[in-house]
Amino acid sequence: MIEHALAPRSPSRLARLAAVLRRNPLLTAGAVLSLLIVLAALLAPLVAPYPADASVATHPTQTLLPPSSLHPFGTDQLGRDILTRVLYGARISPLIAVLVLVIACAVGIPLGIAAGYFGGVVDDVLMRITDVFLAFPALLLALAFAAVLSPSIGNTTLAIALTWWPWYTRLVRGQAASVAGRQYVEAARALGVPHRRILLRHILPNSITPLIVQVSLDVSAVILTASALSFLGLGAQDPTPDWGLMVSQGQSYFTTQWWLVTFPGAAILLTAVAFNLLGDGLRDVLDPRRVPTR
Amino acid sequence: MFALHGSRRIAAVAIVLGVLAVACHGTSTAKNTPSAGAQATFTYDVTSQVMIGWDPATGYSNEIIAMNNMYEQLTRYDSTTQQVKPLLATSWQSSSDGLTWTFTLRSGVTFHTGRTMTSEDVKASIDRTIKLNGGAAYIWGPVKSIDAPSPDTVVFHLKYPAPLDLIASADYAAYIYDTKAAGGEDLAKWFEQGHEAGTGPYELDQWSKGQEIELRLKAFPDYWGGWSGPHYTRYVFRVTPQPTTAAQLLRSGQVSMVERMTPQLWQTFQNQPGFTTTDDPSWQTLLAMLNTSYGPLADERVRQAVASAIDYQGMISALHGGAEQISGFVPPGLWGHFDDLPNPTYDPQRAQQLLAQAGYGPGGKPMTLTLTYVQGDADEQLVASLMKSDLAKLNVTVDVRPLAWPAQWAKAKSSNPADRQDILLFYWWPDYADPYSWFINLFHTESKPYFNLCYYSNPQLDHMIDAVESQAATDRQKAIATYKQMQELLLRAAPALSLYTQVYQKAMLSSVKGFVENPAYPNVVFAYDLTPG
Amino acid sequence: MALAILVVAGVVVLTFVIARVVPGDPAVSWAGPHASRAEIARVRHELGLDRPLPVQIGRYFVGVLDGNWGTSIHTHRPVLSDLMDRAPASIELVTVALVLSLVLGVPLGLVSAKWSGKAVDGVIRVGAVLGVSMPAFWLALILQLVFFQRLHLLPVAGQYDPNLDYTHPLTQYTRMVLVDALVTGNWSVLRSAAAHVVLPALVIASYPLGVITRMVRASVLDSVGEDHVRMVRALGFPERSVFGRFALKLALNPVIAVVALVFAYSLANTFLVEAIFDWPGLGSYAADSISSLDTPAIVGVTLFVAVVYVLANLVVDLLQAWLDPRIALR
Repeated sequence: MIEHALAPRSPSRLARLAAVLRRNPLLTAGAVLSLLIVLAALLAPLVAPYPADASVATHPTQTLLPPSSLHPFGTDQLGRDILTRVLYGARISPLIAVLVLVIACAVGIPLGIAAGYFGGVVDDVLMRITDVFLAFPALLLALAFAAVLSPSIGNTTLAIALTWWPWYTRLVRGQAASVAGRQYVEAARALGVPHRRILLRHILPNSITPLIVQVSLDVSAVILTASALSFLGLGAQDPTPDWGLMVSQGQSYFTTQWWLVTFPGAAILLTAVAFNLLGDGLRDVLDPRRVPTR
Repeated sequence: MFALHGSRRIAAVAIVLGVLAVACHGTSTAKNTPSAGAQATFTYDVTSQVMIGWDPATGYSNEIIAMNNMYEQLTRYDSTTQQVKPLLATSWQSSSDGLTWTFTLRSGVTFHTGRTMTSEDVKASIDRTIKLNGGAAYIWGPVKSIDAPSPDTVVFHLKYPAPLDLIASADYAAYIYDTKAAGGEDLAKWFEQGHEAGTGPYELDQWSKGQEIELRLKAFPDYWGGWSGPHYTRYVFRVTPQPTTAAQLLRSGQVSMVERMTPQLWQTFQNQPGFTTTDDPSWQTLLAMLNTSYGPLADERVRQAVASAIDYQGMISALHGGAEQISGFVPPGLWGHFDDLPNPTYDPQRAQQLLAQAGYGPGGKPMTLTLTYVQGDADEQLVASLMKSDLAKLNVTVDVRPLAWPAQWAKAKSSNPADRQDILLFYWWPDYADPYSWFINLFHTESKPYFNLCYYSNPQLDHMIDAVESQAATDRQKAIATYKQMQELLLRAAPALSLYTQVYQKAMLSSVKGFVENPAYPNVVFAYDLTPG
Repeated sequence: MALAILVVAGVVVLTFVIARVVPGDPAVSWAGPHASRAEIARVRHELGLDRPLPVQIGRYFVGVLDGNWGTSIHTHRPVLSDLMDRAPASIELVTVALVLSLVLGVPLGLVSAKWSGKAVDGVIRVGAVLGVSMPAFWLALILQLVFFQRLHLLPVAGQYDPNLDYTHPLTQYTRMVLVDALVTGNWSVLRSAAAHVVLPALVIASYPLGVITRMVRASVLDSVGEDHVRMVRALGFPERSVFGRFALKLALNPVIAVVALVFAYSLANTFLVEAIFDWPGLGSYAADSISSLDTPAIVGVTLFVAVVYVLANLVVDLLQAWLDPRIALR
C-alpha cells in the first residue's frame, strides 16, 4: 500500500495517508514503534553489544550485574547481557504472531467460507466443531503439545494456532453467509457456475475484510498469549531469548535484581501497544463505514 | 465477645484451657506442664504443602519435617559429634558377630494417645512398617525378626551384620508409634484422616489442609523430656510457595524461620540486626548421571571428556552461595568423605583431546546429547544451561528437557534404551546417616533400572558394595577404606558427575536461639531444642 | 441446549485423550517419589489406569452425571469437592476485577467519547491501549514490586491474613471471603481481604478495562449518529442525558457480551495471576494439577471451564435479546 501511496501517479492516496497520520497521533506512534521493533529484529546482530549472549554463551562469574555502561540493561542469572537478549527477542515474538495468524487463517477461512456458503448440515457440523475448539482452554493444548513433542516455540505456535482459528471461522462464516445470500450469487448458481469459481471469485474476496482488521489487532493478542505460555515454560526454551521466558526466569530474583524482569516485560508491553495502535489505525483507514475515531 | 487483640487473646484462651486441663487431669503424674504464662510460638515458613501423607510407616515426602516433631525414633544422629545418640532407647549393644542388637528403652515415655510405651509397642510399630513395605521401609532389610523379651528391652535378629543404631535413627520409616491408636479400626485409614500417634514433644492441634497456615502443633504436656525452662509451646507451619512472600513475612516478624529462599533474598538478611542467618552444607548432592549403556557416553573416554569440560567453579559462583564444591560422592560431615580424591577439574584442553581420540570434538563428528532435569527447579535449570554452554564449545550439542519428576523417571526407566536420556540431573540424599545410600541405590547393577540411572554395571564395584554394609557394623576402618576405593573407581570410570553439595541457607528472627542445622534431617527444625528469646 | 451439551462432551473427550497421551505415570505421582514397584502397581490398579482408554472415558462420563468427577491424584480428594472449594475464590476475584473494570471503564469511555479529539480523550485512549496490551504476569510482578516492596502499602500475597483464622475466625457461607465477612460483620477479615484483593484484581481488570473503555467509546460515538438519538437531542433533552440514558443503553449491549465472556475466560486463565499472588482459586489449582500431571483434576477443571463458558454464552445470548429486541433468538 505504501509503494502505491508513494507513486506520484496517485497523489490523492498519499495525501489521504498523510492526512490520516496527522489526524491520528496514536496511529503514527504505533506505526513508528512497530517499525522500530521490526528494525531491532532485523538489525540485532549488528546493533547488539554481545551477540553470543543470545545463544549458548554463558558467563558464570558475571551473573546478576546491575545496569551499567558495560551492560545498559544489566546481566541475567547466567551472566548474559540483557540488552542483547531483548534485542534478539524482537525476532521471536512477531515471528510467532505471524506464523500463528497465517495458520489460523489457512484453517479458519476455508472452513468459515464453506460453512457460510453451503449452509445447512455442513454449517451445523462445522459450527459445532468450532464451538468445541472455542471452549477449549489454549493452555491445555499447549501443555499437551509441550509434553508429547517437548516444549518449543514451534509447538506453542501450533497450539495457539489451533485455538485461534475458530474465531476466524465464526467471523468469516457470518460474512460468507450474507454474501452468499446476495442476488448475483444466486443468479450465478442458477446459471450453473461451478461452486469453486463462485467461492474463489465472489465469496472469498468479500468475506475477508473484517478479518484483515481482526488479524492486525490479534498480533498483540498472540504475542501476549505466546509470552504467557513461555512464562510457564511451555514455549521457548533456554537459551532462546524469548521475552516471556526471560520474565519467567527472572521472577525469583525480581525483588533484589529488578532488571531481569523489567526490561523484557516492557519490551512485550511496547510491542503489544505498537501493534494495537497500528491495528486501530488500519481499522480506521480500511473500514470507511465506521465513524472515524477522531 | 471480648475485644482482645491477637496474642493476648491466644494467651487468655490458653490460660483458661490450661486451668481446665489441670483441673481435669486430677492426680496423674503431671510432668512439668508448660507454664501457661510463657506462650511462645515457633512459626516455620515452608515452600510447599507439609502433610502429604500421615502414616509414619510409609511417609517419604515433605511430611517428615512435621513428623520429626510429633514422632521419635529409637536413636537420633547428632551431626556435631557424628555419633548416634539415645532418644527412645537409652543404650544398645550388638553381639560380636553383629547379628544381634539389643536396645534398652527409656522408661516413662507416653504416647499422645495416653498409653505408655513398652517394647511390645516398639516391636509392633517396626513390624508394621516392614510389613507395609512402603516408603523407606527397605532400610530394615537386614532385620530377620524382632523380640520383646521384657517391657524395656527390644532385640533385633539380623540376617547379616548392619549398623542398626544408625538405621534406627533414620529420617523416614523409623518412627515408633502407637499401633493400637485406632482401636478396632483400620490404622492406615485412621492416620490418613489426619491423626497422629507419636511420642514426640509436640502433638497435633489443628490441621487445615491446603490452607496457608496448614498445621498447628502444641506442646505435649506429658513429654518425657519435660518442659522446664523456656520452650516453644506452639509450632505452626505456614506454606508460602513464593520466596518473596516468605522473605516479607520474616522481615515483618510474622514467621520465626524460613525454610528456603533464594540466595539473593537470604543475603538481604545477613548481618541485619534482629535476624540470624545460617548456611551449612547439607548432604544433598547434585548428580549428573551419564548413560553408560547406550549412545556416545557409553565410551569411557567421552565421559571423562565431559567430566573435564565442565566449569565447576563457575557453577558454584553462579549459584551465589547455594552450593559448595564436593570431593567425591560422599558429602562432608559424613564418614566416608575424603578430601583427597582424584576429582575431575575444568580442563577444556584435556576434554578436547579425549574427544578427538573418540572421533568427536571441534573438527570431529558432531555429538548430540539429551539432558533431563526436574521442571521447576531453578538450580537445576541453571546447571543445565551452564553444561550446555560448556559443551557447546566442544562441538557437543546438549538438548535440554525439563520434565516433571514422574515423566523424567519414566523416561529413564524406558524399556527401549533408545528412549532414555544421555544425561540425567537429580539430587540424592541418604535415608539415614550412612554413605551406603549413594552406592547401593545409584551404582549397583540393576537388571531393570530403578535409581541406577547411569545404567552402570561393574561386578567389581558390586562386590565392594555388597560387602561394605556389613563391614560398617563389624570393622569400621575396613569400611572406610572400601568407600575410598569405590569413589576412586567411580571417579575414574565417570558413570556420573558429582557436581556439588547443596548449602542450606536459612534465615530466622534473632529471638530464635540454639538452632543447629542437622543434615541427617534435612529442613527439619526440632523446635523443642530451641530457646525462644 | 442439547448442542451445548454436545460441545461440552466433545471438550471432555478431547481433554481426556490429551491428558492420557502426556507421558509420565499418574500412578507414580499418587504413590510418591520413592514408592516401591509393588506399591505403584497396586495404585495403578486402584485408580483404574490399567483399563483400556475407551473404558476409562466411559466410566468417567457415567461418573460425571452421577456427581463423581474422579479423585485428584495430588490431593487424594474428589475432584468435584476440590473444584467447589477453589471456585469461590476465583469467582470472587474475577467479579471484583470485572466490577472494577466496569466502574472505571464505562465512565472513562463516556468521557472519552464526549470529549473525543481532545487531550483527555487521547490520554484515556493511550491508557486503554496499555491495558489491552499489558502482559498480566509482568504487571503483577511490577505492582508487587511497587506497592509492596517499595511503598509497603499493600500485602504481598494471599487472600487475607491467615492469623485472623485464629483471632477472628470467619464463618463461611458462600466461601467467598469478602461476602462472608460482610454478611457476618467480621470487619477485621473484611479489611484484610479488601487489602489483599486490590492488586490481583487490578491486574486481572487491566484487559477488560481497556476493552470496555474502547468499546463504550466506539459504541457511543456510533450511536450518537443514530436516528433515534438525534431525535432525542432534537426534542431538547440535555446533552448529559443524551449521553447518559440513551446512548448508554445502546453502548451496553456489546459490553454485556464482553463481560460475560471475559468472566468465563478469566476463571481458568487467571492461573498466572493466582500463582504470583498465592490466591487459592481455580487458576492455581489448574496450575498445580498440570505440573503434577494430575489427570482427573485436569479433566475436571477443563470440564468446569467448558461448562461455564457454554453457560456464559447462553447468558449473553439471552441478555442481548432482552436489551435489544431487534436481535431475535434462534
